[in-house]
Amino acid sequence: MPNASIAINAGPLPLGGGLLALLRPALDALEVGGVLALLSSNAAARDDLPTWCKVEKHEYLGCEKVADADRHLIARGGFNLPRGEREHGLRLPLRDGKLMAADVLATIPHAATADPATGLAPRGARVEPGGPEYPFTLNERDRVAPPDVAQLYDQAVAAQWNAQTDIAWAKIKPLPRALETAVGQLMTFLAENELSALYLPSKFIARIHPAYVEVGMFLSTQLMDESRHIDVFLKRARANGGGLGVSSATTSASLHSLLMLEDFTEAAFLLSVLGEGTFLDLLRFIEDHAPDEPTADLVRRARADETRHVHFGMSHVRHALATDPSLYGRLENAVRKRAATLHNAGGVPAAVQDSLTVLAARGTGPAGIARGHDKFAELLHVMHENRVKRLITAGFTPEQSQTLSDLHTPNFM
Amino acid sequence: MPDETILLGAVAYDAKVVPIWEGIRDHFREQNVAMDFCLFSNYERQVESLLAGHIDVAWNTPLAHVRIRKRTEGTSLSLGMRDSDRDFKARLIVRKDAGIKKLKDLEGKILAVGSRDSTQARILPLHFLKKEGVDLGRVKQLAFDTDLGKHGDTGTSELDVLKALNEGKAQAGTLGDLIWVLEQAAGRIDTKKLDSFWTTPGFDHCMFDALPTLSNAKAEGFKKALFAMKYDNPKHRRLLDLEGLKQWMPPREEGYASLTAALDDQKYW
Repeated sequence: MPNASIAINAGPLPLGGGLLALLRPALDALEVGGVLALLSSNAAARDDLPTWCKVEKHEYLGCEKVADADRHLIARGGFNLPRGEREHGLRLPLRDGKLMAADVLATIPHAATADPATGLAPRGARVEPGGPEYPFTLNERDRVAPPDVAQLYDQAVAAQWNAQTDIAWAKIKPLPRALETAVGQLMTFLAENELSALYLPSKFIARIHPAYVEVGMFLSTQLMDESRHIDVFLKRARANGGGLGVSSATTSASLHSLLMLEDFTEAAFLLSVLGEGTFLDLLRFIEDHAPDEPTADLVRRARADETRHVHFGMSHVRHALATDPSLYGRLENAVRKRAATLHNAGGVPAAVQDSLTVLAARGTGPAGIARGHDKFAELLHVMHENRVKRLITAGFTPEQSQTLSDLHTPNFM
Repeated sequence: MPDETILLGAVAYDAKVVPIWEGIRDHFREQNVAMDFCLFSNYERQVESLLAGHIDVAWNTPLAHVRIRKRTEGTSLSLGMRDSDRDFKARLIVRKDAGIKKLKDLEGKILAVGSRDSTQARILPLHFLKKEGVDLGRVKQLAFDTDLGKHGDTGTSELDVLKALNEGKAQAGTLGDLIWVLEQAAGRIDTKKLDSFWTTPGFDHCMFDALPTLSNAKAEGFKKALFAMKYDNPKHRRLLDLEGLKQWMPPREEGYASLTAALDDQKYW
């Protein structure tokens, strides 16, 4: 009989009473053809083991008497063999006592492509063959996972804040009615737009192959961010004697055209690079002109989160463009198509425009309003300038960037 | 023009039989072998239909197979079997508290047995026990004649035997080796209560049968497409798992000798 490379002792355990719990993992540790010796004093195992081996396609090599026990020899069969390398001896580095997703990704990097038949198996697991194909459509690294996605996820986890307790809600003081109404209108607008940033990424998460799980994890932090923003914006609108304002048809049409997107890269580009990018300037404007510290604080916090989303979108688009230059045309086309859909939508929604003006004017005195109006015009200019900068950073030419920025929705998002 | 489509008969012992044969039919088509199937509710009707030439191939239990062999005086064609059909065995399972130390101790005890047309749960274990010297006239048989006509395919009577043993309604019981091991591997056997006491010699199980008049083209086409199924192919694997095999094997006849002898002895032709 051949020599065994592993020996296990199952004592009197019957096949269905614990023996398999020792035998199966021991066989799994062997290469195909590797031989295991099983010491057993269970008489029924003499008949049970050959049948079990037949069912599982292991090779039962025989049995010999050793003192009071049987020594069964089994060669590991090749059926049902999990695919992939065995993970062994991994120890993630501790960083100030913390384990970071970025180190996980560095240890088990993203493969260029992923197989839909590995289903929901975590990256690194060995996968038994024969599973069904899952309906993932984002199966290519360069279309879904920018290299710094795990760092962004780590940052997002560390930067979470609490909409109940982190805002000094008690410090909000009564405001003149026109100013409070303007705040309510702006909060309505912000919440509505953030809803689109909640809905659009969520529809892609289930399409992403789990081999790129960090992307789903990052997007989940984005969903939590958007939820918190919606929460604080709606609370602010109702915290101080005001209430919600109007949802404009322009905003609705603009966000509808975002939600209809079916391509992940186009969505990252239109939502995160152009939309959320433009929102950074809007949030900064509201922060600069906020009538009280809690309002300034909550938009400041939202802006910090949005900066991360913009970073993800930029990183995604830059990486995708670098690996597939044909994407320039497609993204430009997506912007043009959306602009064509929105060509009747008009300018910045009137209620938003007026509220931004009143906010910057800090009231309704004519002199203040004149200043507010100038500030608003300046905001549109700043938004355009910064969009162009972001587009150039993403990899577009200055001319392309000018054109794309001009075509961007008057709704900001 | 004769119909080139191979018409296969199978018994609908379970709802999964439909997806199994639809899947295998699709696989045959991919192999450019035209095949269709019809389902019978029992093996007796399937045997008669094959003999009458209504179907080309019958997917038969061992009992149906040896009946075809006998009725065609050994001239029928055997086309293939599952890996799991070879060296099938039956078990005598006993309650540990029944005090059974040797096979003769069965006399005076209650022995749970499966359906009378189940090769593994009744016909062969009783045949082999008799050959071992057990006086079956002195053994009280608790019979579970469930799903008659299905020749034990459903396994229901074997699970009934296990249940009777578990509940103490019998001190010993007979069932197929496969159910015993699979139920153990799934963690469903109370090994503190039950033990496998004895195992029968090996015998073979199901077979694809055809009449000697089957055209060579159909016989070869059938075998070509059947043996092209591979467990590593996920589409095939789904079907093979459902049908309970990992590999189709060529036929062999020697594994049915004990069943033929048992049927002679039990006069159960």
